[in-house]
Amino acid sequence: MKYLRHFLEFTFYIRKFLLAALIFLATVSSFGTQASAKTRTKIVFWHEMTGPAQVQLNKFVNNYNQSQSNYTVIPQFEGNYNEAVQKILNTHGTSASPALFQSMDISTNQIASSGYTTPVQKFINEDNYDVSKISSIARAFYSQNGKQLSMPFNTSQPVLYYNASLLKKYKITPPPVDPSYSDITRVAKQLYQHSDKKVKGLSIEIYGWFFEQFLANSGTSLANNNDGHSGTPTSVSFDNPAAIAAMKWIQTNIKNGSFMNYGAGTNASTNEMASFLSGKLGMFLQSSASISQLTAGTKDKIGVTYYPHLDNKKANGVSIGGASLWISNDKSLQEQRGAWEFIKYLMSPTNQASWQSATGYLALNKGSQNEPVLQKLYQHYPSSKVPSLQLSKTSPNNTNSGVFMQGLIQERTSVQTAMEQIYNGGNIRQALQEAENSMNSAVKSANKANKVQN
Amino acid sequence: MSIELKNIAKTYDNNSWILKGINTRIKTGEFFAIVGPSGCGKSTLLRMIAGLIPISSGDLQIDNHSVTNLPPCDRNLTMVFQDYALFPFLDVEANVGFGLKARKMDVVKIEERVANALALVDLTAVKKRKPRELSGGQRQRVALARAIASDAKICLMDEPLSNLDAQLRGKMRSEIRELQQRLGLTLIYVTHDQIEAMTMADRIMVLNEQQVQQVGSPAEIYQYPANSFVATFFGTPRMNLLKAHCTQIHNHSLVIDPQLSFPTPFDLPAGDYFIGIRPQSFTIVAQISKANATIKNIEYLGTEFIVYVELDNGAKIRIAAAKQSSLSLNERILVKTPEDFLIFDHAGRAISSMKGTQKNGRTTKQAVQTAQ
Amino acid sequence: MEEQLNKQFKPLNKIAIPKLQKLKKIGYDVNAKDKIYAFLFLGPSLLILSIFVFYPMLRTLYLSFFLTNTLGKPTVFVGFNNYVNLLTSSTYLNSLKATITYVIAVSMLTLVLGILLAQAASKKIAGINFFRTIFSGTMGVSVSVAAIFWLFIFNPSVGLLDQVTTFLHLPTINWLTQPGWAMLAVIISTVWMNLGFTFLIFFGALQSVPKFLYEAAEIEGASKSYQFFHITFPMISPTIFFISIITLIESFKSFGLIDLMTAGGPDNATNLMVYRIYQDAFLSGNYGSASTQSVILAIIISLFTLMQFKLLEKKVTY
Repeated sequence: MKYLRHFLEFTFYIRKFLLAALIFLATVSSFGTQASAKTRTKIVFWHEMTGPAQVQLNKFVNNYNQSQSNYTVIPQFEGNYNEAVQKILNTHGTSASPALFQSMDISTNQIASSGYTTPVQKFINEDNYDVSKISSIARAFYSQNGKQLSMPFNTSQPVLYYNASLLKKYKITPPPVDPSYSDITRVAKQLYQHSDKKVKGLSIEIYGWFFEQFLANSGTSLANNNDGHSGTPTSVSFDNPAAIAAMKWIQTNIKNGSFMNYGAGTNASTNEMASFLSGKLGMFLQSSASISQLTAGTKDKIGVTYYPHLDNKKANGVSIGGASLWISNDKSLQEQRGAWEFIKYLMSPTNQASWQSATGYLALNKGSQNEPVLQKLYQHYPSSKVPSLQLSKTSPNNTNSGVFMQGLIQERTSVQTAMEQIYNGGNIRQALQEAENSMNSAVKSANKANKVQN
Repeated sequence: MSIELKNIAKTYDNNSWILKGINTRIKTGEFFAIVGPSGCGKSTLLRMIAGLIPISSGDLQIDNHSVTNLPPCDRNLTMVFQDYALFPFLDVEANVGFGLKARKMDVVKIEERVANALALVDLTAVKKRKPRELSGGQRQRVALARAIASDAKICLMDEPLSNLDAQLRGKMRSEIRELQQRLGLTLIYVTHDQIEAMTMADRIMVLNEQQVQQVGSPAEIYQYPANSFVATFFGTPRMNLLKAHCTQIHNHSLVIDPQLSFPTPFDLPAGDYFIGIRPQSFTIVAQISKANATIKNIEYLGTEFIVYVELDNGAKIRIAAAKQSSLSLNERILVKTPEDFLIFDHAGRAISSMKGTQKNGRTTKQAVQTAQ
Repeated sequence: MEEQLNKQFKPLNKIAIPKLQKLKKIGYDVNAKDKIYAFLFLGPSLLILSIFVFYPMLRTLYLSFFLTNTLGKPTVFVGFNNYVNLLTSSTYLNSLKATITYVIAVSMLTLVLGILLAQAASKKIAGINFFRTIFSGTMGVSVSVAAIFWLFIFNPSVGLLDQVTTFLHLPTINWLTQPGWAMLAVIISTVWMNLGFTFLIFFGALQSVPKFLYEAAEIEGASKSYQFFHITFPMISPTIFFISIITLIESFKSFGLIDLMTAGGPDNATNLMVYRIYQDAFLSGNYGSASTQSVILAIIISLFTLMQFKLLEKKVTY
């Protein structure tokens, strides 16, 4: 145990050290570039963006800092989404905590119930900010009883990508823009066979998010109390007709050989994308945020469709993925105000349009669609408009506005274990039932620990 | 079992020689010592005989069969190492029986042999102990017991006593000699200690500078050394070497100073010579007017005195005096010409050894022969 | 057992520090001032140990009896419930089984391959220094680099192994997505990582075995393999003991490669105990359950180490 403790402590201190180093660097660099920084209020902003998104985010920060003289936003990278949540909860109330932070979709309930934040609704009311121009399905995900908790920021939609050039080469009719499971099965099977088994037809990463979207798109709740929108959930349901249908669909494709399993986690998505880009994989489900990477990585024409839905049933629409921006309540009113001002800046039509074109995350401001930068993108890659269309065509309801409960990380772990069993040929209902049971007992003890009254 | 070394040589780089032209025949049951200063190649020679390192050129025969290319285990010999080579994790018994067990000998037979060997070296009482629980002498005896148990008739020993204190060394010398006699072993014994070689061996091979200097019995080596190296290597205190110059032929003596001149056995050509005199051969005459030396230091050894003397010509000599004579430091004395001495040429080769009378033909002949 | 212990510590007893009474008897007065000095000298290390070792240990034990809320605060005391729940949960027991399989496989392979490599590198042949450097090379490789390297080898569509199997017309192995193969993959990678250090230690140990022991054995007619098992093996047995303990504890603690290569999957096949603890504590925020698992892991590691001491002590003969 000593070793273990040492190990855990060690990683903790290393992170602390890195954090300190980052703060130092950020401070030094902001002093260097901003001569007038002294009179400005500093807004420490924790985020988890990497790659092009980080570059674009830093651009926004620089532009914002230059556009006004009241605030200096200091962006700090905090590692991955999962770790950031614990950091936020553990530093609250100390001088190390941020005024503004980005936190992932499934941590929403946890952050909200910590009581460590000021809901952005407060500032919306103060400013009479017109939220109707912000995507309703995105807003719905981060609100509780009509109150906006945080501002949706980097938002993606799960979509299906296909290699249009490859389909053309093998003379296969591409899937429709709003495909059913069997539409996809047909294309996958044809691709696999026409290519003499050299190209796999379909891949779906073992990822809880996709599982949640299968349910959402079928209008099925994952947790009771309307996915938590009308009260704290006390149980979950994995073993339901919608989930079984989706898993059966996957197993069908596994059995006919056209399906490729890349497993779970970052390695899975990396490998999956590498295969797709090298023409060894025809279709896969992924976040709309991957689109810029895909278009940059291949000369092949890439097609995009909505998230696949049940045969003979209209799609209910999927919820979103990504993260939102929160304002901490342990900072002065002035700092909180500064954080909000920066949020407003980020949400402007122009910035949202640049955000989408640079990253693939969707522009949430309805005004962005007319911005020249987006118009140009759509002209260049017509398929990049599909995720935005999917987002705007969906009207929010209780089953497609995300699951409002704690312990969703654990939910995803359990679901992913079930998916792994199913992908390796396991019994669908048994795998789902096991996962459901383990999650239900976790929900029970979590509710007990959090003193939830039912 | 006899061993014959035929023109054996060793080199590691085909360029410089560690050993060269080693020839000798070791008779069955002989105690044969190889002696020389450190770095002379004596251990290398022993290891070549053992088969632990390959012989570069020449032939090695055991009982008239060439074993040059045989592995050690097929040469039917055994070896005792300087550090005993005991296995620290095995007790005395297992150490002694190690080789027998490795050769998959019958267990009962092993026990019997080990017990015999241990009894021979008087270690039966400590047979269950580990090497670290033994004294230096006991460890040495375990190594001997292992050699005995192997039942090989040839035994090689590489400086087996050098890690023991002086007293124990003396005791072990006679024990080893006794065992060798009793078991009829042909024993090749490597040492840097001339006393060990002299006291134990039937015959001695003297090695220096990659070559054999002389092979002979201890008496031969001591009395008729082939050269100045062998002469000074054996005997304590060391033999004195006085440099002398012969200016012309038909000079019948080599003169150091008026009181100290050495007759030559035959006419020597002009040149440089060395006169070798053992410290015991000198006599000192004190309280005399014709003094030719000064006493610089006196060491008392119990049985004798070593007197360090400086001749008037500057040469320093050691003289062993048996009796307590009333000598004192810085006293002027006369060093007289001794009866026994040797003459070496400028390269150190023996020319004569004078003994008894001044013209002893036999000894002269002998000395000249060995020098060639 | 007590007798054995006494025997073992006999030399220690002889040099044991005299008892206080004895000190007093011989005129050494242990007064209050001395005690203060004692504490002053011990103080700094006690303080550091308390903060960084004792407190976390006790805190872990304490948390293991609680349920923790969203913020990681213990809220409901549940006694041994956490322990009971874990020890009756099939996924936890599977994780336990996977951990033990992994630990034993990694320790054994590391030991055997380490000795073999060291033995091979002890041969005096041309270019052996190159191989010695290569063999000890993984010591300088960080976990992330190793993970990238092995991920490339195990990559399902462009990986080295995949290309080999394709070339040989063998069925494709999904190294990291099939439970059994994934376990094998992480075992191979971990052993590979361990080998550099193990090799170096064994190489040093082999060098320190006196050469004349082998010479003596050779003259006595012992074959090379007999020499290996009856000289080399017992001579380096203290090193083997040391390495086996280190490797065992290290492999119980394996985290980096697991996190980077499989993240505990597929189907929890490589969800080793430490990784589970990480997931429960730092991803799910279940500090209570994570603490319970830490305590169980600590007990298991101590049991294994104790067992190893008992078993191997007899073999380490000098």
